Amino acid sequence: MPRPGISCSDGARRVLLGPLWPAAPSRPATLPSRAATASTRTITTSTNRPETHHHHRQPLQPLQPQGRAQFPPSRKPTAAPPSHQARSYHSHDHPPPPGPFTPAEASLLSAAYAHVPAHGFTPEALALGARDAGLLDISPAVLPDGGVFALIRWHLHAQRAALAGKVGDIVAAAEGGAAVMTVGEKVEALTWARLRGNVEGGVVARWQEALAIMAQPSYIPASVRELAQLADEILYLAGDPSVDPSWYTKRASLSAVYAAAELFQTTDRSPEFRETRAFLRRRLDEAARAGGAVRSVGEWIGFNAGAAVNVLRSKGVRI
Amino acid sequence: MASPRPLWQPLRHCQRSLLAQAQQPLQARFLSSTTPAPASLAAASSSSSNANPNTSNTSNTSNAQQQQQPPPPKPKKPLTPAQQAFLSSALRVNQAGELAATLIYTAQTPPLVAREPHLRPLMRHMYEQEAGHLSTFNTLIAKHRVRPTALYPLWSVMATGLGWTTAVMGREAAMACTEAVETEIGGHYNSQIRALLEMVGEWEAEGYEVGGEFRELIGTLRRIRDEELEHLDHAVEHDAKKAEPHWLLTGVIRAGCRGAIWVSERV
Repeated sequence: MPRPGISCSDGARRVLLGPLWPAAPSRPATLPSRAATASTRTITTSTNRPETHHHHRQPLQPLQPQGRAQFPPSRKPTAAPPSHQARSYHSHDHPPPPGPFTPAEASLLSAAYAHVPAHGFTPEALALGARDAGLLDISPAVLPDGGVFALIRWHLHAQRAALAGKVGDIVAAAEGGAAVMTVGEKVEALTWARLRGNVEGGVVARWQEALAIMAQPSYIPASVRELAQLADEILYLAGDPSVDPSWYTKRASLSAVYAAAELFQTTDRSPEFRETRAFLRRRLDEAARAGGAVRSVGEWIGFNAGAAVNVLRSKGVRI
Repeated sequence: MASPRPLWQPLRHCQRSLLAQAQQPLQARFLSSTTPAPASLAAASSSSSNANPNTSNTSNTSNAQQQQQPPPPKPKKPLTPAQQAFLSSALRVNQAGELAATLIYTAQTPPLVAREPHLRPLMRHMYEQEAGHLSTFNTLIAKHRVRPTALYPLWSVMATGLGWTTAVMGREAAMACTEAVETEIGGHYNSQIRALLEMVGEWEAEGYEVGGEFRELIGTLRRIRDEELEHLDHAVEHDAKKAEPHWLLTGVIRAGCRGAIWVSERV
């Protein structure tokens, strides 16, 4: 079960220190099997299975997921797919292009995702997921770097894709009594829905180690891109109309706010994460106030410059 | 796909559809026309929108029955990443261009009209058309989730500076600036329209339906291109060619436009 309140979990230390990590006395040096009760086989012996066994498991191929619910459990994460690159064009008439994961990767990662609350974003979760999907336990090796970062990207992608389905519920809940929500209110509601997604996926306790993995230099560009895509998705679903430099400033500030709120959430122990919600509201208020201040300064400068030019023109200066 | 084009990369489903086509007997492929083929396919697969419309062999027999009912809608092909990148950079550049045009006219009008008040209606007409174009592209960018250009403030400053400078130099210089900008813009819109028509032609040749979104986009670009060329005609009417030195002014401004277009497509 998740360990409370530590700043750097075992998984993160193992990833960061690698061969320097001293083997704990109770564990063997090779990959341990954590869910000892779930299976009598350890992961090391399962990879030594001889080929002559007529086993129902096959090598990784395009296949159907075997009885394992995909994330999110009640619907496919492709309702209104978000843009995959920062420069893509979203067509409303034509169907969207295929997502960033192949069907084989998707089945493996969605099965492994169910094991993340218990095992974290680790090769153990991937191996158990491969087993659930009916593949060999070694299958995650086809993913780059053993698939741990791919599992994190799967979580980010699936959570982001699920937001589109939640907009309708948010708007309906708001219009129950009050007036129509403003863009700012929708942004707050969608950001909170995304943070709730972390809770419902059960990854909050495992998220610090995931952040440590995402902070590795080779993964930083992809992680930053995912954060930017999330901010773009939230602002688009909230109906943000900006098409000038405020497009950039809004996304940058929302990315910063979301990253801070998610980090806060990993150490939050309050019931139903209400401290996280208050933290999010304070950060969004600050961002709104800062944006308002910059806009006011810009208006003041523009007004005074225009007035100066007009005064000079009225004096006969040819400008 | 008839001929390989370097811009559009075939997706996996395209390759599958090509394989499926290759496996058909040749006569069946040539007998079945594109119109009735998707009809039987649309009935077979409700959710698949990537299906190749030419895989059916029985389309001829169902042709007679299809005459009475309206044909079911053909599938639409998803955009390839190259096509998406082209469309987003096209809309980004167009928005930047119209922004620059509105700011050029805004900056040109006071010095120009102070000297020659009879040009006020012309300047106002051209400004209003450019403002309409800008709002069109702003709407398209918001609708299609395209990223606006990051150098928006830089283009604003440079366009204002260019407009003011050429207006202070005189009416001929201001008109030469308009002539240069509109020539570049006209050629630029033409190449975009050509590329979009190619895309639409390819889709129709493969038997897919083209979304109304693209027909509208082509129509919008044509209308805007025609209005820009009208501005070019107005500028030449008002002595754009008489600016001294015409070759230097138009050369510098056209080179600047080409550079700005190149940068805005990427940044």
